[in-house]
Amino acid sequence: MSGQSAVRPPLGWRRYRLLWIGGVLVALVCLAALFAPWVTPYSPYDLDVTDMLQAPSATHWLGTDEIGRDVLSRTVFAARISLQVGLVAVAVGLFGGLLIGVVAGYWGGILDLALMRAMELLFSFPAILLAIVLMAVLGTSILNAMVAIGIIFIPGFARLARVSTQKVLRQSYIDAARTIGMADARILQREILPNVMTPLLVEAMTAFAYAVILESSLSFLGLGAQPPEPSWGNMLSTGRGFMAQAPWLAIVPGAALFVGVLGFNLLGDGLRDFFDPRMKD
Amino acid sequence: MLRLIVVRLAWFFPTILVTSMVLFLAVNVIPGSAAKAALGIDATPQAIARFEHELGLDRPLYVQYFEWLARVLQGDFGTSFQNRVPVGPEILARLPVTLELALLAFLIANLIAVPLGAFAAYYHQRPVDTVISAIATLFGAIPNFWMATLLILLLGMTLRWLPAGGYVPFAENPAMNLRLLLMPALSLGVVSSALLLRIMRAEMIEVLSSDYIRTAFAKGANPSVVIWKHALRNSLIPFLTVGAVEFGWLFGGVVIIEDIFLLPGLGSLVLVGIINRDYPVLLSSVLVITVVVLTLNLVVDILAAVLDPRQVHARSEQ
Repeated sequence: MSGQSAVRPPLGWRRYRLLWIGGVLVALVCLAALFAPWVTPYSPYDLDVTDMLQAPSATHWLGTDEIGRDVLSRTVFAARISLQVGLVAVAVGLFGGLLIGVVAGYWGGILDLALMRAMELLFSFPAILLAIVLMAVLGTSILNAMVAIGIIFIPGFARLARVSTQKVLRQSYIDAARTIGMADARILQREILPNVMTPLLVEAMTAFAYAVILESSLSFLGLGAQPPEPSWGNMLSTGRGFMAQAPWLAIVPGAALFVGVLGFNLLGDGLRDFFDPRMKD
Repeated sequence: MLRLIVVRLAWFFPTILVTSMVLFLAVNVIPGSAAKAALGIDATPQAIARFEHELGLDRPLYVQYFEWLARVLQGDFGTSFQNRVPVGPEILARLPVTLELALLAFLIANLIAVPLGAFAAYYHQRPVDTVISAIATLFGAIPNFWMATLLILLLGMTLRWLPAGGYVPFAENPAMNLRLLLMPALSLGVVSSALLLRIMRAEMIEVLSSDYIRTAFAKGANPSVVIWKHALRNSLIPFLTVGAVEFGWLFGGVVIIEDIFLLPGLGSLVLVGIINRDYPVLLSSVLVITVVVLTLNLVVDILAAVLDPRQVHARSEQ
């Protein structure tokens, strides 16, 4: 035995610190969202006007808001909206981008040029501005926020899918597949897709973090999740009005948002190191 | 080189044209009638019809688009539905606020990213590098509106160093103008510095491992001259391209930040346009921001090609 593998396990802490920290943070947020009704002390909607703007205490660990709702419960429940939006938006962006990128990369030519020009145009808009315009067009609802954010992600995934497809196309086993008469659909399914998915999944983590930021930005502006539905964005927005009396209203949801975004960012970086160790400097 | 400039310019105008078309169409399918928003929900059908006829909203969309485009090209951005004032002068008055904010934010981002990125690269894989990289990761995860909130709490309300909102034109009172813009610019700049720092560090690591830098060190050249003069200069060109994209994205952030700090810029005008369903206002403000961002990208692309002609060849090979 070389001992090398015993000393350094495949997913060792020293080598994959980012993956571990990110994984734990993401797991924390996911568990909070999944088990929200069981881990929260109060309902996120129950108001109690006798208990308004209470500072953090033993009964309300993170205090209460302007109409006496428990801030901890609302913060935990808000993770649900963020994760839902992230999941749907990333799925929309991933599949839209995959389709466009693989088609452009595989068939090339004028189709490639037209598709990628359109993607570049979409990409040149500042993301939040595009999201705001899309929300104005689609109407304010959380479902529309998911779609709007998803559309914003399409160009990024499409570029990546196109480059990865072209990289695979240059391999000799593709020539071999063509020589033995394999159909395009089969080449795409068996050779291209599996090789394109890895970089896209890594990118999905970064996109997820960004989706969480965009959702809370839209909700902060009143264009995403609508009250009384708790979202980190709209909680922070309301909390801003009470910063002198109740600073925790603005600090707590922001901190939750920060932890979520940090988790997905680190998980993305960690996965990149894991799948492509050469990228690690 | 000339070819690249011509090609980029040839793409630039159609891109803006398509953008204007897409924006115009998008804004015109917004649900909820502008007439109702302007006249109130209890407006009579006759009043609504008159309003729409007066503003030409009852004509085919393509007619409206070309008319609008022709007027915009002459600098006429139409009249606000809400208060019936011309949008053009409003935009002109607000553009400098947004530009100043974005520039200040970009300056702050670079002041953080360039030296820290260079330091991290020089001390690559040493504790200094780890600490700086960790800071960049933390900065990158802070949403700009939370950063703004924390800054207001700390610098505005607790320490009372800076005013928490408002605006004074630079020409009127330069010192007060900068004091008012510092917190908004910090909120945007600190968050933006994260990506720039990562790019700076990666570029610098690559440059520092190149032969001419090793030679410079080997012949005993002053390390700070090698780093700050030779290496930094060569790291800045690829950095410039990313910087332009990041600068463009800063313009997205201004929508929220201007709203928080009560700045009368283009970003807050976008929100006014959305809330009031004031299409001319919304359309013009988004269009102007987009044109500014696209122009910026164009200039940087050309600048990068002038500074480093190798990029042109690298691109044409792709």
